[in-house]
Amino acid sequence: MSDTVLVVGGGPAGLSAAAGISAAGFKAVLVEKEDRLGGAPILSGYAKLVPSGEWAKDAIGRMVEQVEGDANIQVHKSTKVTKLDGDAGNFTATLSNGDTVQVGSVVLATGFTHFDSINKPEWGFGTFPDVLTTTQMEQMVGSGKITCPSDGRVPERVAILLCVGSRDRQIGREWCSKICCTVSANLAMEIKELSPETEVFIYYMDIRTFGLYEDKFYWKSQEEFKVKYVKARIAEVTASDDGRLLVKGEDTLVKRPIVIPFDIVVHAIGMDPNEDNPEIAETFGVGLEKHGYIDKAETYTNTCGTTRKGIYSCGAAYGPETIDDSIAQGKAAGLRAVADLSRA
Amino acid sequence: MAIHEKSLIEAERLKTADHLVIDGVDVSGHWNTMITPRTLCDYDEHFEKTIQKYGGGENVHRCWQCGSCTNSCTMYAQNVNFNPRYWIYLTRLGLKDELLKDKDIIWQCVSCNRCTHICPRDVRPEGVMKALAHWMEEEGITEKSPATVFDEEFWDQIAERGRIEDSEVLKNFFQKTGQELTQDWLVEMIKRMLKHLPFKHLFRSGKNAVMHPRTQSWGRTGEVLKQYVQEQKEAIHG
Ligand SMILES: Cc1cc2nc3c(=O)[nH]c(=O)nc-3n(C[C@H](O)[C@H](O)[C@H](O)COP(=O)(O)OP(=O)(O)OC[C@H]3O[C@@H](n4cnc5c(N)ncnc54)[C@H](O)[C@@H]3O)c2cc1C
Ligand code: SF4
Ligand code: SF4
Ligand code: SF4
Repeated sequence: MSDTVLVVGGGPAGLSAAAGISAAGFKAVLVEKEDRLGGAPILSGYAKLVPSGEWAKDAIGRMVEQVEGDANIQVHKSTKVTKLDGDAGNFTATLSNGDTVQVGSVVLATGFTHFDSINKPEWGFGTFPDVLTTTQMEQMVGSGKITCPSDGRVPERVAILLCVGSRDRQIGREWCSKICCTVSANLAMEIKELSPETEVFIYYMDIRTFGLYEDKFYWKSQEEFKVKYVKARIAEVTASDDGRLLVKGEDTLVKRPIVIPFDIVVHAIGMDPNEDNPEIAETFGVGLEKHGYIDKAETYTNTCGTTRKGIYSCGAAYGPETIDDSIAQGKAAGLRAVADLSRA
Repeated sequence: MAIHEKSLIEAERLKTADHLVIDGVDVSGHWNTMITPRTLCDYDEHFEKTIQKYGGGENVHRCWQCGSCTNSCTMYAQNVNFNPRYWIYLTRLGLKDELLKDKDIIWQCVSCNRCTHICPRDVRPEGVMKALAHWMEEEGITEKSPATVFDEEFWDQIAERGRIEDSEVLKNFFQKTGQELTQDWLVEMIKRMLKHLPFKHLFRSGKNAVMHPRTQSWGRTGEVLKQYVQEQKEAIHG
């Protein structure tokens, strides 16, 4: 009988699962393919998190310390699972570093992949140095200074384009990435804090700052930081002769075409299914849902289940998810996983 | 009160009674001018379905009003009143009166399909423009487009004889669309044909133009085809 759970992925969800398993008195083996723990917020260098306002390196850093300092959690970095034999209660996992581990259950916390803006060439990413993604803008905020990458000038105007790589049949992405509206409102306020003379405009089709994020982010950005929201889906980003960017679209409320000069354009990129998912599905024998995320079992009595017995999942592996919810789901998946151990 | 800025108000909304006496006071003419309000008072829920029955209109219900089609549109670049996004909105709610204010430009879509390739919801706005244009033609709201007149003439001859007679299609098309028969290019073409075509061909063309031969064993084929097309139309539009 195994007393160990295999946790795959060391982002917020996987860290939470591993810590929970240990707290319940069992052991966890945490396998992370990158050379650092922390997942997207650490690997991509996010600035202040929604909704806590804490810096990612502090908040998620605390989770990483907790796990790395726990003797009941064995961490394998720069490692993947290459093979999984056996059945629920009695799995043998082979790792890419040659180790094998005996585990009773598995938690897949393998998260998401950032949308690559190169797939939307009309919006200028990769062509103009001052067109950035939200992850790059988060890093700029982290550096403490807002400047145009092309020549270092302070931007007079920044445009944030929502839904880049989400909600778009043309590129086969029919989901909403859930957090990017709020992240963009938050980012707009961070930009204004660091560079008060910069004007920030957000181009939207719908604003989805759900639940308690409505007043804390959307309203606050409008009322206190004077961020302007324009209802238009941008068609094209080009450059003008003076080196500024031109944002073109239809302002749907004015019913007029717009061609507005900007200094920086930010893509609010979405959360794609993890690009490893086909491989993960194959290795672990779990199904994927129609968009390519890990398929969720019925949730009411098989919480955090997948299509395979003894294998659980949580967080952004299931679809676009927030950090707070990924952490809560990680704990829930850990609980399901240790329940299997105590029964075996 | 006289209204000084009448130019700002659509003429049909200004109501003035020539003779009106209220409580013994004569308020005839501009003293009683009223402006009817622009409040929208109803939706025509069936209109979206009607347009969806025309080829191309099927996906109109998917639109979320992002404006990408309008912005990419070839015709919008010429005329900012050419706004497929806005017309799709009116179609969905059944705001026909508003839509018909633009009846003279809706048909101007040039089918470049730039909208089709940019729409994030795969609405196919070009198809919707086509569906609206066809609906307006069928309702007699707009005149038949030259293309429709041509198609009808072409098809009538096929149904009748199983083949067309080029000269007759052209002649009838020009007549029905009020165009001169003696167009320069046509006169020139006929002149050259007379000069260069072998006599045998000319003779056969001339004979066909007068005799209108039918395709061999065409029989009732035309009638059957016509009936089939009619049935299909009825099945779709009820
Ligand atoms: C620009 C941006 C800003 C955001 N800001 C916020 C915010 O402020 N607040 C908020 O709530 N949410 C935010 N999010 C969402 C947040 O990133 C996710 O909620 C969170 O990262 C999900 O955690 P996770 O552990 O499920 O997945 P991830 O963070 O993706 O972690 C998955 C981990 O698994 C590893 N992994 C993947 N595949 C394998 C494999 N095959 N084998 C081994 N390891 C593997 C990865 O390397 C990674 O470490 C933001 C998202 C974006 C795009
Ligand atoms: S959360 Fe907002 S920006 Fe992100 S995909 Fe959804 S609607 Fe678009
Ligand atoms: S197909 Fe018609 S509506 Fe679409 S972009 Fe071209 S002209 Fe505009
Ligand atoms: S591009 Fe598509 S979804 Fe957007 S307004 Fe036009 S028809 Fe509607």
